[in-house]
Amino acid sequence: MLKRDQGVMLPTQVTAPGYKVELRGTAFCLVATGSWTVREATALDSGLKRLRVPIPPTPDFTGQVDISGIEQLDTAGAWLLQRTARIWEGKGLRTNFAGATESFEILLEEVRLRGEEQRTEIAKSSLLSSLTQDWARAMTSVSRDAILITGFLGHLMATLSRMVAQPWRFRVTSFIHHLDHAGFRAVPIIGLICLLIGAVVMQQGVIQLRAFGAETFAVNMVAILSLREVGVLLTAIMVAGRSGSAFTAEIGSMKMREEIDAMRTLGIDPMETLVAPRILALIVVLPLLTFLGDMMCLVGGGLMAKVMLGIDTPAYLDALHSATDTRHFVAGLIKAPFAALIIGLVGCLEGLKVSGSAESLGIHVTSAVVKAIFLVIIFDAMFAMFLSAIGV
Amino acid sequence: MAGTLKVAEQIPAIISVKGLAKKFGSQQIWDDLNLDVYRGEVIGVVGGSGQGKSVLLRVITGLVSPDKGTISVFGRNVRELNREEKVDMESRWGVLFQDGALFSSLTVLQNIQVPMREHLDLTQSIMDDLAYLKLAMVGLPADAAHKFPSELSGGMRKRAGLARALSLDPEIVFLDEPTAGLDPIGASAFDQLIRKLQQTLDLTVYMVTHDLDSIFTVCDRVAVLADKKIVRTGTPEELRSRPLHPWIEEYFCGERARAALA
Repeated sequence: MLKRDQGVMLPTQVTAPGYKVELRGTAFCLVATGSWTVREATALDSGLKRLRVPIPPTPDFTGQVDISGIEQLDTAGAWLLQRTARIWEGKGLRTNFAGATESFEILLEEVRLRGEEQRTEIAKSSLLSSLTQDWARAMTSVSRDAILITGFLGHLMATLSRMVAQPWRFRVTSFIHHLDHAGFRAVPIIGLICLLIGAVVMQQGVIQLRAFGAETFAVNMVAILSLREVGVLLTAIMVAGRSGSAFTAEIGSMKMREEIDAMRTLGIDPMETLVAPRILALIVVLPLLTFLGDMMCLVGGGLMAKVMLGIDTPAYLDALHSATDTRHFVAGLIKAPFAALIIGLVGCLEGLKVSGSAESLGIHVTSAVVKAIFLVIIFDAMFAMFLSAIGV
Repeated sequence: MAGTLKVAEQIPAIISVKGLAKKFGSQQIWDDLNLDVYRGEVIGVVGGSGQGKSVLLRVITGLVSPDKGTISVFGRNVRELNREEKVDMESRWGVLFQDGALFSSLTVLQNIQVPMREHLDLTQSIMDDLAYLKLAMVGLPADAAHKFPSELSGGMRKRAGLARALSLDPEIVFLDEPTAGLDPIGASAFDQLIRKLQQTLDLTVYMVTHDLDSIFTVCDRVAVLADKKIVRTGTPEELRSRPLHPWIEEYFCGERARAALA
């Protein structure tokens, strides 16, 4: 903001801006006074837009903008004055400025020059076409993801087979670190959640089946549901949220800081050092966690059976024994390593897709979790159909 | 020095920092730091790494609170303001952070309009016109208006950040290493831009910098941070001809300084 009297540091005394048009000889004169700043811009703008442009009766009439009464001027004020002058020029009035201090003149000239630059407007697309575009983009990204993840699986397999031939390439320390992080540290949360869900399913089962007098069959339901579906699915979803996202974040932040490029230039294969230990650790750990989840589901169910049905532990174990056999347990557990592979692949691949910015890291972490959970559930449904078809 | 003192007696300082002390953990960053900045000057704050140049900018703008000391800006103690007065003061200064700090979810034009939208009641058409004007004033092409910050180069992001800092025509502009990360041509163009805008808008510019070229082309005065305080202030020429401090001597009379002046 420029002030007419420089150097005065009083709290800004704002004088309301004003303007009037008067005829001085053969010049139409816009007399502007007060404080022309961005704070007053809305009022000034609407007033100046309503102002009638004087029509020169003879061609020798000129226009003038007298700003000797302006105390404060900033770019917004200068722009409003220049716009008015330009409109007057357009109507055939040669317009000049009068009463400007040196600093006002510099600002007015700068605003005149810059205000004339061309603008670009964005082409607005219609709602329908942008919807179609979004659809097409989503579809192509699904097929691109499918290709990428298949390629990544192939790459992993090639790396693993090289490791079989050259076992010293296997990174033991990293593998154990991930066993600890993805496995051991997930024990409390997975145990607790499975316990609670087992109890809740038992409670709901008892309430619903009581209507038919068949509440003791709630034990069968909980046993089969836990072993076949709930244990593995809950564990896989928790691991996708905990470890899949962590893989993406770790690898992604290394990608962001060019650490992965640095590894490549040093002749280190990131597939071997970063991806393989993580995925192998997950494949080992997820069946173990699933077993834990299964057991905790059954424990939760047993606690609730005791509370609601008065079944004590030996009787509950007997009921479990007659309701289930090994094939139910295996049908659940067999899915765990495949779910681990999916979570690991998606987590690491999304991490490697991160580009330079922090936003992209956030986007890829989110999409890793969403994609991993989605794929695990799709895959679980396919397995359920397959297993029932072969009669397991 | 004598010349500066005389000026100081005549004009009250626009920014005045007195007796500032700040500790991070066990590390004392400053102990009794004093600095005055006068209206209409471009002051460069220099100092070695870890002397707290950027932290000082953050303390003055109220982002970090000091342990001791007073900071007055426009003659008011920054730490004693109530909410409305603080907002009012913030609209009278603009800050350009190192990488522009543009909001990544908004286009450049929307970024420039953020302060107008927050602090003033303007119609959309005026905000558009003013934002395009600011864009042109910082030397960005009009087709940058609808781009997102991630689509701009580092130099363009800084210019866009400067346009946002200038959005409300502030009286003081704080620049945090404005030429860091720019190529020499881009850096020199940015120096020229700062000079030009300073003259056009009568700005007071507070600039944290490492860049010797910027100091000699843009700064009216330099304040040197060393030994936990401002050890000297003066024009770049004064500091070069009479350094009186080992760090200043090394900085202003070293190999790179000679190259900058050549």
